[in-house]
Amino acid sequence: MPKKQSISSLVNSLKEKKISVHELFDQFHKVAKENANNSYNLVLDPDYQKSNLEISQERYSNGKNLPLDGIPLGIKDLFCTKGITTTASSKILSNFIPQYESFVTQQLLNDGAIFIGKNNCDEFAMGSSNETSHFGPVVNPWKNKNSPTEKLVPGGSSGGSAAAVAEGSCVASMGTDTGGSIRQPASLCGLVGLKPTFGSCSRWGIVAFASSLDQAGPITNSVEDAAYILNSISKHDFNDSTSSNHPRDDYLKEIDKKLDHKIKIGIPSDYLKNVTPEIIAQIENTKKSLAGYDIEFVDVAFETTDYALSTYYIIAPAEASSNLARYDGIRYGVREEGGNLDDIYLNSRTSGFGDEVTRRILIGTYVLSAGYYDAYYRQAQKVRRLIKDDFQRVFQEVDFILTPTTPNEAFKIGEKLDPIAMYMNDVFTVPTSLAGLPGISLPSGLSANGLPLGVQLIGNYFQEKKLLQLSHLIEKELSFNE
Amino acid sequence: MSEIDIKRISYLAKLKLPSEKEEFYSQSLVDIIQWVDNLKKIDTSNVKPLHNVTEATVSIRNDDIEKNNSTEDVLNNAPERAQNFFKVPKVVE
Amino acid sequence: MSNNWEMVIGLEVHAQLKTSSKLFSSSPNLFGSEPNENVNFIDAGMPGMLPVLNWACIEKAIKTGFALNFTINKHSVFERKNYFYPDLPQGYQISQFEFPILSEGYLEIDQPDGNTKKIRIERAHLEQDAGKSIHDIDPKFSFIDLNRVGTPLLEIVSYPDLSSAEDVVNYMSSLRQTLMYIDVCDGNMQEGSLRADVNLSIRKPGGELGTRCEIKNLNSFKFIRQAIEFEFQRQIEVIESGGSVEQNTMLFDTSTGETRPMRSKEFSHDYRYFPDPDLLPVNLTDEQINQIKPSMEELPHQKIARYVSDYKIDKDISKIIIAEKENTILFEKMVNESDVNPKNIASWLVGDIFAFVKEKNLDVLNLLEYTKDITDLLKLISDDVISNKVGKEILPQVLEGKGKPNELVKKMGLEQVSNTDELEKIIDDALMGEEENIAKFQGGSDRVLGYFVGKCLKSTKGKGNPKLINKILLEKLKK
Ligand SMILES: [Mg+2]
Ligand SMILES: [Zn+2]
Repeated sequence: MPKKQSISSLVNSLKEKKISVHELFDQFHKVAKENANNSYNLVLDPDYQKSNLEISQERYSNGKNLPLDGIPLGIKDLFCTKGITTTASSKILSNFIPQYESFVTQQLLNDGAIFIGKNNCDEFAMGSSNETSHFGPVVNPWKNKNSPTEKLVPGGSSGGSAAAVAEGSCVASMGTDTGGSIRQPASLCGLVGLKPTFGSCSRWGIVAFASSLDQAGPITNSVEDAAYILNSISKHDFNDSTSSNHPRDDYLKEIDKKLDHKIKIGIPSDYLKNVTPEIIAQIENTKKSLAGYDIEFVDVAFETTDYALSTYYIIAPAEASSNLARYDGIRYGVREEGGNLDDIYLNSRTSGFGDEVTRRILIGTYVLSAGYYDAYYRQAQKVRRLIKDDFQRVFQEVDFILTPTTPNEAFKIGEKLDPIAMYMNDVFTVPTSLAGLPGISLPSGLSANGLPLGVQLIGNYFQEKKLLQLSHLIEKELSFNE
Repeated sequence: MSEIDIKRISYLAKLKLPSEKEEFYSQSLVDIIQWVDNLKKIDTSNVKPLHNVTEATVSIRNDDIEKNNSTEDVLNNAPERAQNFFKVPKVVE
Repeated sequence: MSNNWEMVIGLEVHAQLKTSSKLFSSSPNLFGSEPNENVNFIDAGMPGMLPVLNWACIEKAIKTGFALNFTINKHSVFERKNYFYPDLPQGYQISQFEFPILSEGYLEIDQPDGNTKKIRIERAHLEQDAGKSIHDIDPKFSFIDLNRVGTPLLEIVSYPDLSSAEDVVNYMSSLRQTLMYIDVCDGNMQEGSLRADVNLSIRKPGGELGTRCEIKNLNSFKFIRQAIEFEFQRQIEVIESGGSVEQNTMLFDTSTGETRPMRSKEFSHDYRYFPDPDLLPVNLTDEQINQIKPSMEELPHQKIARYVSDYKIDKDISKIIIAEKENTILFEKMVNESDVNPKNIASWLVGDIFAFVKEKNLDVLNLLEYTKDITDLLKLISDDVISNKVGKEILPQVLEGKGKPNELVKKMGLEQVSNTDELEKIIDDALMGEEENIAKFQGGSDRVLGYFVGKCLKSTKGKGNPKLINKILLEKLKK
């Protein structure tokens, strides 16, 4: 893996004129342009970014640099970027050029970040391996040391974002997480992936998958980098009615702060029921690394874990089936001709969506249809409340919850054909998503095959500051152990 | 679980499954619906559905007009247009 | 053959709310703009766009709630109604379904026998209007204009309490009037601000209810009447010829006056309503609801009552005035800014002033700037400065802003002649050579008096004060 360069070190180098904004961009752009792992749907060239680079350099020259000035970022191709093709990795949007900038990417631009390009992802963010992209699968830069020629998945749906950061083509990348789409690929690529509390980061301008679950967040090399990005993007947005106006913290400040009181971390036994010893070892590693601190680990048990995936695979497809109705070939996107209007709809949508998206639209349509709504959709919404309450009950006892991020290491491209087997990838991340809680995946060690594995730390609502502080500590201790 | 009418579901979703794939999707749908069927075991008779974890919104607008885009901005991604209209084959009612 | 059948009708009325911006976006809510001019990225259903609720729409719904005796629900939920149509950019309409903002209201309508009938209203909910498909520009293509997309609608759903076209028209016009009074809807049916879906079924008196058909989108009283009459006969014919009515959505063809079923669908609709995850429930407090009460405009029936009790105006005349809200604005302004008897103002308003407005095809509100002149004119009459007749002659010029009444009267030399000397001279002239008629009068014929008054008025060109003329005449004749 390429040498990791932190945002703070890069900002310092830029400030101290050890490197120019242009040179920094070129350095990352060179890797991105090769697109060796297919982690980009589109790479922006230096010419396109010329004026942004110049303005950024100027601010450094004036000593008036912004928090992310000149930092090259990847952006999941799910964020609408003004004047830049935004496809959601779908054929149906393959020619779509938004005339608006998503709220989140606008914040990054406002803070001086420079976009390298649009990262590949699962089509409409539906997938856990980045294999559903219309533009082909993304390859995990990590190799199985026992079988180094195998191409592995980077996880998904923000697989391109994770691979891009891992391959060193951008400093960090913006992902989105609906049921684990930031945390799972971060874990499989040895990175930090943060899904903030639902409502922290505006969904305005992000191609919607499941509105009540979608949340933007960073995939980064380090916890500190995640704090940099979170500081930029976590803001109330009036234009997103589900955006929260809960006060935001400065997540960078005091990230090094020592624990000032005893912390209790719950480890849910039900998460560890059917996992491999290698996965259990990740939890053990983490526990051990924190042995010198005033941290108590306690067993906790959820009552609803077994129902989370079912709940998710009703709610998310239901919302998706409706969110994706707008792709009809009439106002934008790819139109397939037909003799009459109905044929245009049918042809455009059938040819425009891939298998997994089609499957989820069908599931969603079914669970909302007359006669099935109560049994499936309404029941899932009720269970969702039980899941949320379950977390709140556990949070009465503990400050954080520690779980594995994924049940397995990165697997081979093409290996998992059965959709349900694929859905199981998100078994540890989905409950958090349903409850809307913040979760972060941290690299915790390597598998026997030399592949990265991660642990997930879950905090209570809007506890990102403490979550990042603790994560920072774990990161430090775990790398010390390595 | 009763039969899934894949033709009806796909038509509602405005999808035209190629006949050779109908069985593939139909089976997959049956499998997934069976898989999520475990939710039926839970007694939720006293539980209120949860639509969203954000409980209250502050996003209620005053009745003010804002224009931040041109007509062209809205039309320039259109696959087919006629002047400032979107164009589609004749709709018969 | 249609005797013995009665119709049972429920109405779904879509009222466009009179707001500046749309229900969930800040685009202008305007009729008659250039195609796709009032469309932003939200309206066009662009990827990632999100709705933000316009509070004015909630306010208008609450006002409607007060006006139509609804229960105003503190908890209401926007849901998505999913279906595909080219003028529906999101692929769903945001509407309210399980939890509407208003439930269980009513409206009272007048019956021919002078009684009123209570029409129960099941619910009213907020929803987005769709765009427009234009079919008649090109033989092969339809053109889509999204200007209307997202216009706020209040859908008001009555119970099937209506039993004739007359009832429906009464209900609809009373509803229209009310919504216009409370400034919720501009009531412009031609522009589609108010549209009705008519649900009609037939039955024998006391018999079982038949299958209903829904006639969509009727936007004039004439069409409503025609569509109901046609559909009523159609259903009777179907049944009496041994068939059965199929539940159907009908279109009304305005050129033939006939209803016909919409192109039959391969599969029936299944709208898959579910709470819109982009929006949160609307939770209102008592305070928010009650805050709106004081700003409630007076309703039509309340105005009638006040005109009758406070101004002593006939109920029928009051009804004519309140027929349009504009009339009451004009009327009340005149009442408030002058001390002319309101009853007098009312009779001039419904008489000569309305006649003038109608003749010139004017907007009543155009006259607002002349209200002072109008009441000044009425004052000149009641002060006997001019005669009623002269008043009527001058009125059109006052209404056209051609001058102040007193100036007009002076300029045209139309002041009433109330100078006794002058009048005596005129009367003497009039009596000259009328010995025969004078004798008749003295012989007891009253009719002759009228003849003399007329003659005097004629010679003053109408300016003579008739009361004075009468008085002096009598004195002279009795001598
Ligand atoms: Mg309707
Ligand atoms: Zn409606």
